[in-house]
Amino acid sequence: MVEYFEGPRKGRWRNLGMAAAFLVLALFLFFLPGSYQTPIRSAIRGTVLMPFLLAQSELVNRGASQVDVPVLRAERDSLAAVVAAQASLAEENRRLRQLMGLRSRAPRSFVPAELVRIGTAGGESTFLLNVGTEDGIRVGSPVIASGGLLGVVWEAGRRSSHAIDWTHTDFRASAMTADGSAYGIVESRRGRYREEDQLALVGAPFHVDVAPGTRVVTSGRGGVYPRGILLGTVVGIEEADTGWRKSYLVRPAVRPEAVTHVLVGVPLENGYDDLSPLWSGGAPPTRGDTAGAR
Amino acid sequence: MKGGWPFWILIVVLVVLHFVLHLSFGFGIEAPDLLTVAVLLGARQLSGGRAAAYGFLLGLLEDAVSVSAFGAAAITQTLIGYLGARSRDLFVGDSLLFLSLYLFLGKWARDALYYAVAAVVRRGDAVGALLLQAPVAAFYAAISGLVAIVVFRTLTRSR
Repeated sequence: MVEYFEGPRKGRWRNLGMAAAFLVLALFLFFLPGSYQTPIRSAIRGTVLMPFLLAQSELVNRGASQVDVPVLRAERDSLAAVVAAQASLAEENRRLRQLMGLRSRAPRSFVPAELVRIGTAGGESTFLLNVGTEDGIRVGSPVIASGGLLGVVWEAGRRSSHAIDWTHTDFRASAMTADGSAYGIVESRRGRYREEDQLALVGAPFHVDVAPGTRVVTSGRGGVYPRGILLGTVVGIEEADTGWRKSYLVRPAVRPEAVTHVLVGVPLENGYDDLSPLWSGGAPPTRGDTAGAR
Repeated sequence: MKGGWPFWILIVVLVVLHFVLHLSFGFGIEAPDLLTVAVLLGARQLSGGRAAAYGFLLGLLEDAVSVSAFGAAAITQTLIGYLGARSRDLFVGDSLLFLSLYLFLGKWARDALYYAVAAVVRRGDAVGALLLQAPVAAFYAAISGLVAIVVFRTLTRSR
């Protein structure tokens, strides 16, 4: 412990120097390239913060099994529908390839995962997943909820990953309208509050009018996301860049705060299959549909 | 408020509680920022250099779950730790009124610094964030800190 007032002048300079050294160290960490920051983050998360993260995983499991069984069941059924539909697509694809004499592609899969939310300011628009490189997850793996695309894996550890959702300022997805009439890039538009966040389809051709209510899906260009994952529906025009292109506001198909369980895509050498048929009639069955089916 | 091991147990409890609320339960602004409260209270017991180191370490813990602004909390808490320690040169007192004002201003300064450093938290206009949301969060943190201090003083029978 120290005296209430900081002693002699020499002591004050020593303290100032020490504080400056730690400030420089913090600045160094801040400006460090992402690839160097990752191991530091992982090391702290894997040691000091591990009990807290494990506790949330346990709480999510208990909460889901005790409080919200119908919702969880509906979510699971919806995700199962995605997987099942994808399996039938894969089978159809395999048969067509056989008929055409083409070599079969390597099997692809989605890995089910639990989502761990982060409540700190710096963790906004990000979440943790309890799957990692051991499960085949890579940086860039798409994260899909029952309603559509939730986000993308940003960092992949051995057994856990850090992902961003669509509200993150760095989120981008190559997109198109469901009928293929307009292509562009979907990015986030942050509101004053998280609940006001929306998506925007930017770079759409000027000569094409996209009507409100039109569904926007991933186009598959760039190979990051499979083609055909629902992103949202067009709400209206955002702006028209005179004579060149238009941008539209899109109501997102998935609200990140409502998601607890997801599917994470495992990237393959040959790219992704077209998932358009999965959301051709809207999102896969959700709570009401599932309850009705029972 | 006198230091000693009971005081540092209070600090550890605040830090653990912060991560339980924000990581284990996943609360955002619904839970108070007890980490900043811990930095501010602890800094008053340390020299400027040590308080900066202490703030840096707690900030680094917070940064471990931040992919977008890694290091921002470390920068902010280092500065807050140092300024908290140096505040002894300007303000003397352990009354509840003084400590609550100290926590309120400290947390407000922390949010303003973090807003300046970390682009990821920028949402809406700066005026709304710094003059509306930040004071509310600061008030919440100050009240929480005050409750912690009262409980601590009751348990340890200190003034």
